[in-house]
Amino acid sequence: MSLADNAAALMERRFSRVVVALVGLGFLAVLAAGFGAVLVMQRGQEHTRWVNHTYLVERHVNGIRLALEEMRSGRRGVLLGLADGRDTYRRARQQVDTEIAAVEELTGDNELQQANVRELRGEVHVLDSAMRGADGDARFSLEEQVRRNASGRLVALAQRMLDTERGLLVEREAAQGASLKTFYVVLGLAAVLLLFVGVMSILVILRYTTDLSRTRDELRGLNANLEGAVKVRTQDLQRANEEIQRFAYIVSHDLRSPLVNVMGFTAELEASVKPLAQLIEDAGQRDATLVSSEARLAVEEDLPEALGFIRASTQKMDRLINAILRLSREGRRSIAPVPVAITPLANAIVDGIRHLVDDRGARIAVQPGMPTVTTDRLALEQIMSNLIENALKYLKPGRPGEIDVTATADHGRMLIRITDNGRGIDPRDHERIFDLFRRSGQQDQPGEGIGLAHVRTLAYRLGGTIGVASRLDEGATFTIDLPLIYAGDEKEAA
Amino acid sequence: MNTQRAVNIVMIEDDEGHARLIEKNIRRAGISNPVHHFLDGTSALQFLYEDVNGPVRNGPSLILLDLNLPDMSGTDILARIKAEDSPLKRAPVVVLTTTDDKVEIQRCYDLGCNVYITKPVNYESFADAIKQLGLFLSVIQLPDPDAV
Repeated sequence: MSLADNAAALMERRFSRVVVALVGLGFLAVLAAGFGAVLVMQRGQEHTRWVNHTYLVERHVNGIRLALEEMRSGRRGVLLGLADGRDTYRRARQQVDTEIAAVEELTGDNELQQANVRELRGEVHVLDSAMRGADGDARFSLEEQVRRNASGRLVALAQRMLDTERGLLVEREAAQGASLKTFYVVLGLAAVLLLFVGVMSILVILRYTTDLSRTRDELRGLNANLEGAVKVRTQDLQRANEEIQRFAYIVSHDLRSPLVNVMGFTAELEASVKPLAQLIEDAGQRDATLVSSEARLAVEEDLPEALGFIRASTQKMDRLINAILRLSREGRRSIAPVPVAITPLANAIVDGIRHLVDDRGARIAVQPGMPTVTTDRLALEQIMSNLIENALKYLKPGRPGEIDVTATADHGRMLIRITDNGRGIDPRDHERIFDLFRRSGQQDQPGEGIGLAHVRTLAYRLGGTIGVASRLDEGATFTIDLPLIYAGDEKEAA
Repeated sequence: MNTQRAVNIVMIEDDEGHARLIEKNIRRAGISNPVHHFLDGTSALQFLYEDVNGPVRNGPSLILLDLNLPDMSGTDILARIKAEDSPLKRAPVVVLTTTDDKVEIQRCYDLGCNVYITKPVNYESFADAIKQLGLFLSVIQLPDPDAV
């Protein structure tokens, strides 16, 4: 039994450990996946920003190209003598500067692009001065040459800048792709892990529930067996008890038979002593020498004394045998369960011994409205009256007796308590007092030590128990524990 | 006293001491009828039904019966005596035993016992009971078995 218990406990511990580990793994996987997702999202955002950045740079570089184109057309306008040619040129020149400044700001983190920007600015300056200088026709061809060169370099430079930015974008896209791949790998791993955890959890839980249901079935079987075993045991006990009762009955009967003879012939002896004593008396009067002092002593003192002892002892033996007989009879008596209200029963008992109560100056309080119990009325009455009488009998001299009768019903059991403030019982004697012919404390009250044995037999007969709580000089509480509804004999049920 | 036909007293009692005490007290009560004493059920039944001097063949009798016998239960003897077809069914039976169990007493009366006396251990009451029995014997009119 305990081995199986240990194994079950071990299995349970192992099971909970496995479940905790699996759930932990699952959480870890979900956490990793979540973390990866956040990371990838951040990367994506960054990437988008960089793409935007690239596009912005491109736009501004294109803006530079556009403004340069504008400058050129402004210059052509001037050369052609258009009215707004100079204004157009100036605006375009400013536009170029603005765009270059924007690109410079955007590519602040890129050394290469900064160098390109510086170069661009220089080239624009060269172009600008070349264009401005083109007012005079004398140096026309030289200026034109410079302008053309600068313009070509500018176009190439802008293209280079665009290429650089594109290259950066490609690089970033590659990095982005790599991180995304990593994320997918992590996600896949997490999914596999989750799947594994899920399958394992289901397997473990399945095994556990199978174990559980098997254990439950086993328990149910055991329980059924137990009930059967209890039934068998109860029957055995009852059989044994019946045997003891029968034994007690037979023995006490057979003991009684010789006792009748002992008592009878003792009485016959006593009757014969009388004429003998008379004879001795007569003989003594006629001739004093005829009667020896021994003979006189024997007839007048020894014989009556011996007979007296024999008589007293046989009488006591008779009382004891009768007690055993009564006990065995109570144990065999058939029980007739009826609903019994405790309060009226207790009141009737108290009324029956009213004169005793008043003689002793005691007070008996019976709790009103005590519950009703279905049991044998006569047996319960005997139990309670015995206990109440005992409480009254063993009061402490010089202390006004106070006896309380209370009862509570709980969980199908009825607890009836009879509490007194009497002389109490030494805890060492708590078991002993329920034994037949055993008593406790000062032997100043008449009795054979039968009452409580009788009470206990009756309590057992009613399917109950009786116990005592007491200390010397501190009163005693006797508690009768009865089933609220007498379940009936196995004999009768079978 | 019924002197016309001597009433035989048949005592079925396994304890010789008890038998002696019962006889002594019967005599003290002034009853001098013959007492036939049997220690067991078998010989008692033999006498009751078969013997030439037994009650079936020879006159009325009174039966003193102990219930605890070595060879059979006293109640069986009682049942046999009081059975419907028994020639002794009208013979008075006094059950005199140590058993004071109510159920047992009732059973004896149900079987047709006429008087049930518990042997008291207190000898004075025992003697009294026997004297009562003597008184009872002196007043009852025993049925004549020939009249059956």
